[in-house]
Amino acid sequence: MFIHVTLSLLEGMWTAIELFLLTLLFSLPLGLLVAFGSMSKWAPLRHVSRLGHLPAALRHFRPISALTELVVWIIRGTPLMLQLIIIFYGPGMWFDNNIWAFGNGRMVACVVAFVINYACYFSVIYRGGIESIPQGQKEAGQVLGMTKTQIFFKVTLLQVIKRIVPPMSNEIITLVKDTSLARTIAITELVKAGESFMKSDGITWPLFYTMVYYLLFVGLLTLLFNWLEKKLDYFK
Amino acid sequence: MAILEVHNIEKHFKNVQVLNDISFSLEKGQVLSIIGSSGSGKTTLLRCLNFLEKPDQGTILVGDQVIFDAADPATQIEKEVRKKRLHFGLVFQNFNLFPQYTALENVTLAPKLMAKETGRSPEDIEADGLALLAQMGLEDRKDHYPHQLSGGQQQRVAIARALALQPDILCFDEPTSALDPELTGEVLRVIRSLAEKKTTMIIVTHEMAFARDVADQVIFMDGGYIVEQGTPEQVINHPKEERTKQFLARYFENA
Ligand SMILES: Nc1ncnc2c1ncn2[C@@H]1O[C@H](COP(=O)(O)OP(=O)(O)OP(=O)(O)O)[C@@H](O)[C@H]1O
Ligand SMILES: [Mg+2]
Repeated sequence: MFIHVTLSLLEGMWTAIELFLLTLLFSLPLGLLVAFGSMSKWAPLRHVSRLGHLPAALRHFRPISALTELVVWIIRGTPLMLQLIIIFYGPGMWFDNNIWAFGNGRMVACVVAFVINYACYFSVIYRGGIESIPQGQKEAGQVLGMTKTQIFFKVTLLQVIKRIVPPMSNEIITLVKDTSLARTIAITELVKAGESFMKSDGITWPLFYTMVYYLLFVGLLTLLFNWLEKKLDYFK
Repeated sequence: MAILEVHNIEKHFKNVQVLNDISFSLEKGQVLSIIGSSGSGKTTLLRCLNFLEKPDQGTILVGDQVIFDAADPATQIEKEVRKKRLHFGLVFQNFNLFPQYTALENVTLAPKLMAKETGRSPEDIEADGLALLAQMGLEDRKDHYPHQLSGGQQQRVAIARALALQPDILCFDEPTSALDPELTGEVLRVIRSLAEKKTTMIIVTHEMAFARDVADQVIFMDGGYIVEQGTPEQVINHPKEERTKQFLARYFENA
């Protein structure tokens, strides 16, 4: 029985890992894009102001930044579980068009919901990291004739990474446990796999046994982040 | 022939006029010191020369070439600004070294990024960087990271970094104000040796004795205006303007 449960949980674990890795793969870069969006200084009405007299609030209106910040507010302000339900059931319910009705549809819908959610959280961390780099670093690059891209990749990026490792590791560890929300749309991840033995065999220990899996996973991640922090310890 | 000519530079932030009608010129191989009280616009002037701020009015010429003209947008195209600012080097008050690079890497980073345009080989750049660090008395510190160096050493690395791009004019913004008094000497010595090698320099400083010694020309600024300019003998030893006298009196009282 023990071996049977272990294997079954491993399967659930694999689903969780898949969700975890896919979410990171897409939300890490997407988050950076969202961060740039929220920092966008583009204010088209500034130029219009020459024609007439616009109030200052309108002249300084930055549409890209405002829009991304609105999205980030909504996504961070509502439960991931709800977002998951809306993304999975919404199209079928409201548009009579279940776009997820294909082989891996559930999982894909789940990844989409997670990616959007985590990209928003990551964007805030990225933004904080980027804005914490002193202006003098950028200016030093500028007076040395570097391009904006060179300054970002050769000067700013590593300093940003060093600063965001601790908050990122927090968020990523939360993601490990958030994968259990996938069961909301009937994906058999780890917790659901453990719980299923309660119904089928009337035993509860497999459910608690899942904790071992989570702890091992998070333990591994913790080691990885500690190593990374050490790696970046060579500069201040 | 003047290597640098600045004509009628004006700059304001919001409602505050920070630079008014700034004009001066500088001969190749000469040293210009800018003195003046806090908030008089010295940093802003250097930042304008280095394209970190955009003047509202005025022109800047290097050699005979107009590199900035407030009235001519063609002189302000971003891509060309990047090249044109290389006429100037800037050494910051608080060094602004790149923390993740060693002393040598700080010096060679920009030349290496530019290698495609200049056609220089990495070995050549490396050797040049080492020579510059040696000139700063830092050859044994080449593999140290900025946080492992004293303030004076960091500032000398910053000077080497600026020199690595062979600017026509090297600007210093209070290069020793962030240093403990016992460390200012080593940085001033390096700057003095550059002056002896006929490096064209603009030095904003509160070190009056140093300015008097090293400068060929001194500008005294107050409230965004150039109040007085001339040789150190004229401006520091025999100021004509009342405001210059007051400033210097206050300075020598405290010193
Ligand atoms: N980015 C900015 N925005 C608004 N005001 C500014 C800005 N930079 C400088 N100023 C103002 O411009 C004036 C001149 O500043 P600046 O830094 O050039 O003076 P300074 O002569 O270098 O002074 P210090 O000796 O303290 O370094 C000051 O009144 C300052 O408050
Ligand atoms: Mg200043």
